[in-house]
Amino acid sequence: MLIFTLKRFALAALILFVAVTLMFLMIRAVPGDPVQIMLGPRATPELQARLTAELALDQPIFRQLIIFYGNMLQGDLGTDVFSGRAVTQIVFQQLPFTLELIFGSIIWSAGLGIFLGAYAASYPNTLIDRMVAIASVSFVAAPAFVVALLSLLLFAVHLRWFPAIGAGNGFWDRMEHLVLPSFAIGLSWVGYIARLVRASMLEVLGEHHIRTARAFGLAERRVVLVYALRIAILPVVTVIGVGMGFLLSSAVFAEIVFARPGLGKLVIDSITTRNYPIFMGSVLVSTGLFVVSTALADLINAWLDPRARSAK
Amino acid sequence: MKIEWTKTPIGRRKFLKGATALGATAALPMGFGGSALAQESGTLRVRAYGDAPNMDPAHSVGVVEEEIHSSIYNKLVQYKPGSEWGWQLDAASSIEQVDPTHIKFALRDDIGFTNGHGAMTAEDVKFSFERIIADETESPNKPDMGPLSHVEVTGEREGTIVLNEPFAPLWSIALPYITGNIVSKSAVEGAGGRINSEPVAESGPYLRASWSPKAKTVLQRNPDWKGDAPAWDTIEIYPIDDENTAEIAFEAGELDLTRVSLGSVARYRDGVPNGGTLVENPSLFYVWLGMNLDHPKLQNQKLRQAIQHAIDVPTILEASYFGAADPSTGIIAPGLAGNRAEGLVAAEANVEKAMALLAESGESNVTLTLDILNKTTYTTMAQVIQAMLAQIGIALEINVLESGAFWASGDNENLQLVLNRYSMAPDPSYATAWFTSAQAGIWNWERFRNEEFDAIHSAASAETDTAKRATMYQRAQDLMEESGAYRFITHEATPVIHSSRVIPALRPDGLSLLRYFGKA
Repeated sequence: MLIFTLKRFALAALILFVAVTLMFLMIRAVPGDPVQIMLGPRATPELQARLTAELALDQPIFRQLIIFYGNMLQGDLGTDVFSGRAVTQIVFQQLPFTLELIFGSIIWSAGLGIFLGAYAASYPNTLIDRMVAIASVSFVAAPAFVVALLSLLLFAVHLRWFPAIGAGNGFWDRMEHLVLPSFAIGLSWVGYIARLVRASMLEVLGEHHIRTARAFGLAERRVVLVYALRIAILPVVTVIGVGMGFLLSSAVFAEIVFARPGLGKLVIDSITTRNYPIFMGSVLVSTGLFVVSTALADLINAWLDPRARSAK
Repeated sequence: MKIEWTKTPIGRRKFLKGATALGATAALPMGFGGSALAQESGTLRVRAYGDAPNMDPAHSVGVVEEEIHSSIYNKLVQYKPGSEWGWQLDAASSIEQVDPTHIKFALRDDIGFTNGHGAMTAEDVKFSFERIIADETESPNKPDMGPLSHVEVTGEREGTIVLNEPFAPLWSIALPYITGNIVSKSAVEGAGGRINSEPVAESGPYLRASWSPKAKTVLQRNPDWKGDAPAWDTIEIYPIDDENTAEIAFEAGELDLTRVSLGSVARYRDGVPNGGTLVENPSLFYVWLGMNLDHPKLQNQKLRQAIQHAIDVPTILEASYFGAADPSTGIIAPGLAGNRAEGLVAAEANVEKAMALLAESGESNVTLTLDILNKTTYTTMAQVIQAMLAQIGIALEINVLESGAFWASGDNENLQLVLNRYSMAPDPSYATAWFTSAQAGIWNWERFRNEEFDAIHSAASAETDTAKRATMYQRAQDLMEESGAYRFITHEATPVIHSSRVIPALRPDGLSLLRYFGKA
């Protein structure tokens, strides 16, 4: 398991390096002079020249890349031009908002999705199963931005149960502010996970060890929840790991629609303003988040299913 | 296969019962949550379209930060709320232009800075203004101060602003705007000469209590403020980019004031939710179709004039702004000196004249590219223009660009037609500044070069006679239009909705002057 873990994290580091380098090169390939955009139309040529030098934009791209990685390894991601604050401070100030949105979405959608999938698999081809199937496919088909807007109009404007904008202050206020955004981006995952768990459960419930467990007279509840579900949710763990990336991108629109702070919003703003230090800081952290979550999913998978450790 | 769950503690009925109970329990506090969302009586909640990370007026780049600066700092004079541009005394107890290059002022004796930085003195005014024009400050706002020479301190609270030459915009965009904010000399020097995201010393009727980046800025009443007490104890400012989100937040009762999209104006004219009010203000911004005079395809003036006459501005406005904005006659909006009552080219299209001009030009099979920003308003506008130019036989290809690429178009020599929109401060010189020969290829994307225009731009800033100044700027816009490089479209509008609890204090262009907001 230790060797597997080391190999997996080495791969994660390589993926992170490739992804961040790609992003570094891509943002520089996009047209638009970052200094002119960042400083606005009234900046003096001297100020423009100083910022160009400060950002090392007068250096060849390869040299800029080396400077970036050199600074990054020393924990220095640069300084924001507008506020003069350290990029690490800005990014890590936004990170918790995105994390709580992503984990909030995963927790409720995985919980409900696994329950619905398991329940449907327990009653295959019955009315309940069909109802769950219809609901699941509907959830998957519902575009997240439509769910976001409709839930805003219904639950925030009409019923006024939940707040419409912001992230809130204090634990309960933040939880309350999390309900609608996490509902909007998690709903399709409920359907997706429910379908996945149902299919997986049906397959597992037909396997020999389940039949053996039943033959030994174990309680049906124990057979389903302990022996079948443990194996059936393995694909869910992998899907959730990969799903972090999708949820990160969904978080971007959720942060805009619900006017929430967060990494996604930070990335969008930094692209439009060509704020390279903020962009690279945000990309580094969000890519790192994705890479680590997929690695963790693989490790959990390997822990739950030893066969995965030796899989080539 | 069917698995029996009936012997388990959680049966179908129990699950349904449990789920219902859980749902009801969950819903209960949420219902109360609704009341928790209700406004505290002393808190005003407003929307800003962006975040305000910079508390240094010398490095402020826009109105969002200025909304906060004008609440936590003082100026000699502030804009007067209302429908006409003007100023009123703030930190100055008196101010007088004694001759074209000297302005005498006296400060009130009851304004102090926080954090132990003492009373506001003329030294602070001198420091604040001279700091803006000092090269080492590298302030992008330096042009606002024009030919400011220095500030003479004649007493503890008295001084004279000295200009190298007369400069009319000092009263309209320098003293009452971004560069007019007075900071504490000792505080800024103590901070190393630069204020970052933390205001080092405040003096206004409000203090910045907290700032959560991209989430909220909170202003609280300054307990040591001796001037007229502000009406609201607390002001919460939410940075919300998207106008639709802001409108939803207003309708949910979470905002007291927000600018709304022009597309929503018709709906709000029929009634604003929660007993609110719609206020429609003109904007100073200007939108136009520009033509690159250096491009080989646009060398023919008759062709450019044909394009001017083929475009029907009212139709564009109806399609893109839903009738909520009026046609413009130039780059200077109504209410400012130099606004033209009528342009040389009527807002309505004259297709026959356009076709005649095209025939005169001798051009045929004309194909052009129109660069636009990737916003719905501009894509709609571009499509309407495409259809209009097709009527006279000009084929138009639309090139949609994201904001970063679009705003870097200045040095794009291949640019042909462009739909553009510039922001504006309340002085005509702010508009003409971008169209001088020196700006060609920078912010003058049309590469319009005209010596008379350049001369007017220089001379008009020094002209203190408003009527003469207005005539000069009108002539400048005539020159722009005569070149055929411009088809002026609109100044847009600034529609604002506010709740019934608020008496808003807005500039004539609809921007908020938060310190003057009242309670209904």
